[in-house]
Amino acid sequence: MKKRTLSAHIIRNVLLFCAGLFLVTFSIYYYFIRNTIKETTRENAIFLADNTVNRIEQVLSPAEKVPEIVAKMLESSFLANDSLLPFLKSILQNNKNIYGSTIAFEPDFFADKGLYYAPYVFRKGNSICSTMLGNQDYEYFWMDWYQIPKMTNASYWSEPYYDEGGGNILMTTYSVPFYTMKEGKRTFSGIVTIDISLDWLTEIMSSVKIFKTGYAFLLSRNGVIISHPKKDYVMNQSIFTIAKENNQPGMRTIGREMILGKSNFISADFKSKWHSGKLWIIYRGLPSSHWSIGVIYPDNEMFASLHKINILLVFLIIAGLSLLSFFTVKIINKLTAPLKKFADSARLIAAGNFDVQLPEIKTEDEMKELHNSFSFMQKELSEYIVNLKDTTAAKEKIESELRIAREIQMAMIPHIFPPFPDLPQVDVFAILKSAKEVGGDLYDFFVIDGNKFCFAIGDVSGKGVPASLFMAVTRTLVRSISDKEVSPAVIVSTLNKSLSLNNESSMFVTFFLGVLNLETGELRYSNAGHNPPVIIRKEGTAVMFEKTKFIPVGLFEDFEYGELTLQLGHGDKIFLYTDGVNEAENADNKLFGDDNLMGIISGNVNASPRDLIHKMEEAVASHVDGYTQSDDITMMTIFFNE
Amino acid sequence: MNNCVPYLQKTVVLISILLSANLIQAQLPKLVFALQWMPQAQFAGYYVAQEKGFYKDAGIEVEIEHPSAYIKATEMLASGKADLISFSLITAMAAKNQGLDIVNIGQISQHSAIMFVAKKSKGITDLSQLKGKKVGIWKSGFDEVPKALLAEKNIQVEWIPVSSTVNLFMMDGIDAMTVMVYNEYNQIINNGLNEDELSVFAVAKYGYDVPEDGLYCLKSTYENKKLQLEKFLQATLKGWDFAANNKEYAIDVVLNRMKLAHLPTNRVHQAWMLDKVLELMKPGDKNVAAGKLKESDFLKAGEILGQRNKTRPVYGFSDFYKSLLK
Repeated sequence: MKKRTLSAHIIRNVLLFCAGLFLVTFSIYYYFIRNTIKETTRENAIFLADNTVNRIEQVLSPAEKVPEIVAKMLESSFLANDSLLPFLKSILQNNKNIYGSTIAFEPDFFADKGLYYAPYVFRKGNSICSTMLGNQDYEYFWMDWYQIPKMTNASYWSEPYYDEGGGNILMTTYSVPFYTMKEGKRTFSGIVTIDISLDWLTEIMSSVKIFKTGYAFLLSRNGVIISHPKKDYVMNQSIFTIAKENNQPGMRTIGREMILGKSNFISADFKSKWHSGKLWIIYRGLPSSHWSIGVIYPDNEMFASLHKINILLVFLIIAGLSLLSFFTVKIINKLTAPLKKFADSARLIAAGNFDVQLPEIKTEDEMKELHNSFSFMQKELSEYIVNLKDTTAAKEKIESELRIAREIQMAMIPHIFPPFPDLPQVDVFAILKSAKEVGGDLYDFFVIDGNKFCFAIGDVSGKGVPASLFMAVTRTLVRSISDKEVSPAVIVSTLNKSLSLNNESSMFVTFFLGVLNLETGELRYSNAGHNPPVIIRKEGTAVMFEKTKFIPVGLFEDFEYGELTLQLGHGDKIFLYTDGVNEAENADNKLFGDDNLMGIISGNVNASPRDLIHKMEEAVASHVDGYTQSDDITMMTIFFNE
Repeated sequence: MNNCVPYLQKTVVLISILLSANLIQAQLPKLVFALQWMPQAQFAGYYVAQEKGFYKDAGIEVEIEHPSAYIKATEMLASGKADLISFSLITAMAAKNQGLDIVNIGQISQHSAIMFVAKKSKGITDLSQLKGKKVGIWKSGFDEVPKALLAEKNIQVEWIPVSSTVNLFMMDGIDAMTVMVYNEYNQIINNGLNEDELSVFAVAKYGYDVPEDGLYCLKSTYENKKLQLEKFLQATLKGWDFAANNKEYAIDVVLNRMKLAHLPTNRVHQAWMLDKVLELMKPGDKNVAAGKLKESDFLKAGEILGQRNKTRPVYGFSDFYKSLLK
């Protein structure tokens, strides 16, 4: 596995946290900025459109006043018909915006002037010229500028047109009908017009710029393009023909709204060849001429600045995070540099080099504390090791002595089997497994008077060296007492007396002693608080001896022990054991138990003493299952042979 | 390098001789052809025939003239400024009645393009509802057929002469107006009114399917230049045929002619016009060959003319129509 440094861990976590934090902040920021831009753009576009409308109105509105006043003057017969031409000339002289003007009368209005009467003045270069309109080829009564206001009884801004005479200038005509009293009736009498050049429109319209490619366009009342960045469209196309050419019904719908003079700001429901993406459009009607101005811009350009800022922000964030990582690594590495040295020192100390030089710490922080702890540990370890060496030496000595003691102890008990090759009536097998180096269990057997087989098993209270010493004493006493006595009760009583004397450590021993008459099979025994042995009859039954009433030896000097008799038959066996067998504990603190013990015996009634003990040993080992042996285990089986 | 010069000079001389020979060959008999209106797709076939060299291939040189506001096509014919003109059947017959000795040498359109148009919003959905309404009609002609129709139906209207725009109609100065299906009708659509907002009454539907555009020349011209006129008619029909099969090309040609005449150009409108004009040239339910005038149409036109002007034609079909097609 790849080794990961502490700084890498910290950086990873810090970076993840920072990146998450940035992401959340960025998302919120983006959402709000986007909405703000949208709203601001909307306001700007509306302002721009309104402003443009106003700029155009500033020209058209005042121009309307002139013919309206003239019409009023004509109605009140303020003007004499022979003063009309000079009057019109003065209008042109005083109104730079006005290109031409006429007062056109109804056919035969003046009895002496003929069918047509329409004085007309117009600019030609820098001079102002005059003429009379109307002849067979120009019957002005049927012209839109005359006929429409006449028929609708309302002033009328004409559809823009190119002036045929005057150098291809886009013009429009404003016509105002006037009325005179005829036979007491207010009767339509003619039209006053002014012609306005529209070349200033281009300047106003082309000054409308929104974002990179957004632009403004102007529609006439019929939807004809009056102004558009694409010069080809002007006066050639209407919004409806463009819609048809590009198959965009949505454009036609908007065009219809526009020529009705409506206002709106909407996402355009059409596609344009000019820009393939989503478009926004704002449109406003011109109150005077009923033309309509449209401002259009692409959606993506609206957010172009945002995208730029986004790129910059992302760049800054990446740069910031990189710098953060760099400096964090630097700082952490600097701060944790002693840790590596401490680790090396620790390894050397572990290897036994307690005098190793610790890294020098100048700061008064956790690192200093670590240094002090290390230094303390170094000193303590050093002292501990010195102590340990002494202790170990002492322990080794004791262990060596214990080993010798064990050898001596084990040498005390018979350990050669079969013990009496020349005594066929009896077969014996026994084991003693101490829980510690030396133990407090004992067993012994020997022959008295040539035909009495004496055997004993005991368990000294406590364990270890004191118990082993007490055991040795017990064993020695038993041997010496049984030299003179054959009664188990006497032997045990005598033993009790001897052990009780000066027994300041209050140790005691549970003890069973039996004397088997090899000729008669009579077994006399005395049980001083020991586990009852098991008698295994030849025919296969196994029962425990009854529980003893006698207390262990070594407790009360004057306690009298009695004895019992049991008749053994040839082929019978006696199984003796200490509580290390039936009280063997496993990891769950569960005891081996009398039932298990009897079960093993019942299953092996015909086994030899050696086999029976080995079976029992295996069963106990299996029950304990590797758990530490807490008590000495001693077993002995005596077989009364035929 | 020096050696090359004489060869170059010789080559130049040779090319010059060849070119002048070509010029001599290009001196073809010339016909001046005047249309009855400004350039538009109504005349696409003639322009195409000229552009594609069909006239030249036929061995004639054709110069196309357009009338101005001041000089009418008939005047150009009378004064000899034009050898032949495109004109509407009824107008031509009226002119002949008035003494202009012209003959029809080919009938291009076979149907009437005239319709009445009214806004449904004005409550007009039936022809009879025009009664008492202000109806716009061309000041410059073509008024005979619609007037005859309403007279026959006994629908009295207030006729309002209008010039060439639909603005008075758009501004509701009039309740209805006469339009050509290929021109003014589409202008109304292109001014923002939807077709479903309009009531349309085509005169053809009421038994007045009088053909319009035909080719006319003075009788004397017919007699003197019969062969050239025949070539002209053949090449013209070929031009129309080509335009019908190559509409985009034909519209390009038309738009180009319009630009040269400083007219507003609008492809959508010209495409509409070409489609409709081509439709009008098809025989439809009439049993007539392309380029020919049907006698029944002549008689119907004469009848209308008699009603309107109280002067029935004093000439027969054979005096009026001189077929140049076999």
